Amino acid sequence: MTTLLRGTAIIRSYGPTPALRGVDIEIGEGEIVAVTGPSGCGKSTLLHCLAGILPVDSGQVFYRDQELGQWSEAARSKLRRTRFGVLFQFGQLVSELTAAENVALPLLLAGSGRREARRTALYWLERFGAGELGDKRPGQMSGGQQQRCAVARAMATEPDVLFADEPTGALDQLTGEQVLAEILQEARGQHMAVLLVTHEPRIAAYADREVVLRDGVVDPSGLGIGLRS
Amino acid sequence: MSTPHVLLGLLAAGPRHGYDIKRAYDERLPRAKPLAYGQVYATLGRLERDGLIAPTAQDQDGGPERTWYALTDAGRARLDDWLGAVEPPAPYVTSTLFSKVVVSLLTADEDRARDYLTAQRAAHLQRMRELTVVKTRAGAAVDDVVAADYAIAHLDADLRWLQTTLLRVADLHREVHS
Amino acid sequence: MKPSTLVRLGLAGTRTDRLRTVLTAFSAALAAVALLSAATVAAIEGGAWVTQPDGAAVLSPGAEHYTNAMLAEAGLRPGVVTALVLLALPVLALAGQCIRLGAPARDRRLAAIRLAGATPRQAVLIAGAETAVASALGSLAGFVAYLGLREVLHRPTPDGRLPLPTDLLPAAPVIVLALLLVPVLAGAIGVLLLRRVIISPIGVVRPVRDRKPWPWPGVLIAAGLIVFAVPAQMVDTLSRRVTNLCLGVGVVLCMIGVVLGSAWISYAVGRMLLRFGRRPAMLLAARRLIADPWNGSRTQAALLTAVIAGAIAISFRQYMITEFESYDRINALAPDPEGGGISAAEPPSFYLGGIRLVLVAVVIGMVVAACGVLVALAESIVARRRAYAALTAVGVPRRTLSESVAWHTLAPLMPALAVALVVGTGITRLMGTEVRQVDGDSVCPVAQAQCEANPALFDFVVRHEVVLPVPIAWAGLLLLGGVALAAMVVAVLAGLVVLRSSTDLEEMRVG
Repeated sequence: MTTLLRGTAIIRSYGPTPALRGVDIEIGEGEIVAVTGPSGCGKSTLLHCLAGILPVDSGQVFYRDQELGQWSEAARSKLRRTRFGVLFQFGQLVSELTAAENVALPLLLAGSGRREARRTALYWLERFGAGELGDKRPGQMSGGQQQRCAVARAMATEPDVLFADEPTGALDQLTGEQVLAEILQEARGQHMAVLLVTHEPRIAAYADREVVLRDGVVDPSGLGIGLRS
Repeated sequence: MSTPHVLLGLLAAGPRHGYDIKRAYDERLPRAKPLAYGQVYATLGRLERDGLIAPTAQDQDGGPERTWYALTDAGRARLDDWLGAVEPPAPYVTSTLFSKVVVSLLTADEDRARDYLTAQRAAHLQRMRELTVVKTRAGAAVDDVVAADYAIAHLDADLRWLQTTLLRVADLHREVHS
Repeated sequence: MKPSTLVRLGLAGTRTDRLRTVLTAFSAALAAVALLSAATVAAIEGGAWVTQPDGAAVLSPGAEHYTNAMLAEAGLRPGVVTALVLLALPVLALAGQCIRLGAPARDRRLAAIRLAGATPRQAVLIAGAETAVASALGSLAGFVAYLGLREVLHRPTPDGRLPLPTDLLPAAPVIVLALLLVPVLAGAIGVLLLRRVIISPIGVVRPVRDRKPWPWPGVLIAAGLIVFAVPAQMVDTLSRRVTNLCLGVGVVLCMIGVVLGSAWISYAVGRMLLRFGRRPAMLLAARRLIADPWNGSRTQAALLTAVIAGAIAISFRQYMITEFESYDRINALAPDPEGGGISAAEPPSFYLGGIRLVLVAVVIGMVVAACGVLVALAESIVARRRAYAALTAVGVPRRTLSESVAWHTLAPLMPALAVALVVGTGITRLMGTEVRQVDGDSVCPVAQAQCEANPALFDFVVRHEVVLPVPIAWAGLLLLGGVALAAMVVAVLAGLVVLRSSTDLEEMRVG
């Protein structure tokens, strides 16, 4: 299995607070990896660094053996909207646009025509069970429906890697697991790699393997906390 | 409940007599079903018969006659085996899991305890993965899904408790070794 | 709640709150200076035309030591006072807009205060107190500045005359009134802006108006034009006062109509962008305009008002220039044997100088309005920080976001500017599109004795006639529109800098 995404010795701080203190991680093509750990361990920061959203203070991030640190912000932005899909817990849809327009946005930015983008958008909305929401605005939908639209948007560009940061966090248990199951089914079908950040073991159980972070480093024991505090 | 192993664990720190053992059991595992004296002595008898514990000579000055017991080498080995073995993840093992975690924090050194906890967690998670696959398989019947959900929910509860226990371990450690 | 508690709660806050306080105080200071200057001019006495027993008219004493006729003559002073008061208006509007700065943090604070047990009315009062306190501080600062200006600008000419009324102070009660008026008005504006807002302990809810705006402001504009035109039609039958009232009301109605109508313009522009726009940035801007068209009218109000005033001034200047030319022409055709001829009461430079001053005030007003737009833009960008951060994270380039902000602010402005220019020009042209001067004799068609008894029998025979059409002052109007547009572009560019730092993902945790 070829390595798609690799991070070596990633160090990243927010001002004086260190978030990641030297993390190594590898994600292969088509692999579904869960990143878990207690709150404050740096898992969201790791996701942001691997997706090229945040630059690293030291260390490297490689996508297909190209080092992202060398890339300009515009190039990384383009990577994010063409080869990566990004999914958050909430708040990622533009509230003034309709669902179809939200999903079509990355396609329009990539240069698709309006009609074609809309067709593709409606297809993906249908695929994730939000077909009839195309002309509704996020304010008119439930949390689960909004998340389905966000998933459709992340998948519409058929990315290589899907980055999901607590995607079920704002949903109730059943809806969350349903949406997650659909996401992973689609991902497996497309041989898409998935980086799933979660603090719930139940959600981590959907992944092929788990990487546990503790205080900004990988914890091989998986316990997430030392025995002697 | 694996009472014999718990009693072995209670003797790991040093010899005790029967009354003391019963008192320590109630203290360390307060929410478990309380152990009757008769059961304590019966178990101690069985353990002695199996050669895992042996009475030691103790002075009995000024008190009623009491038999003090200590772990034999075989007993120590049996305890280590028990502490090193992972409990098979399933909903009904909760109480055994509980007692094992407590005893391991009680008796084992930190590295051994961590090894056990790591292995236990990994086993639980692996089982949860298997159950998730069963649940999300195309064409899974409703009863399969429901049963899988049940098992996953209980394993999830175990894991969360494990995590929380570790967070409280500092206090526990201090208390256990006081 | 004790007043001291109110003040303490009103002064609480973070860096954005301090910025808001500073801006509010600054605007209040400017408004105070303007009001105090108006009061000073109003305090000048004398300069009224008085008819003496021998029939000659002289100016009453008290104001002859001012070099500027606008200060010396009592008839012209009200105009100056009005202009200064009007100048205070866009500044107060800016203070009002500052109230909206940093709204999210302040909303959270208000909600927390409610949670601690305040009633909704107390929460609104606290918000108003914030503004009032900041404005009061600004007012005092303005007073100090006013006194300083009096010293600095006190420059008597060699013969002891003064260019500005720096030797006068308004009466003490008037000063106090002016200084109190600013915080009271600012606080009232603040409370007014919060009237639709529901402050609950779990958060502040601003209900979004979901109605489409429809062009009833057009009705206001039409009404304004009609009212303005009334005196022109009934030129001699109305008293001076009623005429002025009609003119003033007409202008104000038109201004309000244009300002309110800009919401409809924003909505219409949004729909057009949606239908015809190709770029994603236009889509984002279009949806925002359609979702909240009133946002634009709030920020553009001051600018459009200034543009209307400027258009009126420029068109009026054109009218006066034409009139002066007609005087010159008729005097050339039919020279006055006594060497006087038809002319205006003062040399043309006086009137043109006055217009120039008005235009200066208009430009100042536009700059102030552009600052207001910048403040509102910065605040809306900061409020939408999370949305922008999420968009950047999923790969929308910063350039697209900047473009959408530019389209959203500037696209509805162009038609609104055009409307403002047209309305301003149109109003002035209602006064007359041509100037006519005649020269002739009165001739008696009947017996001379009858005519002398009844002067109405005299016929007027025209010997010379000059008719000049008043051209539309294209150059001036386009320049005015250009300056307004430039001011807005600068404001947008500055706002884009704020956007740049807002989408800096290092600053905040995304998602």
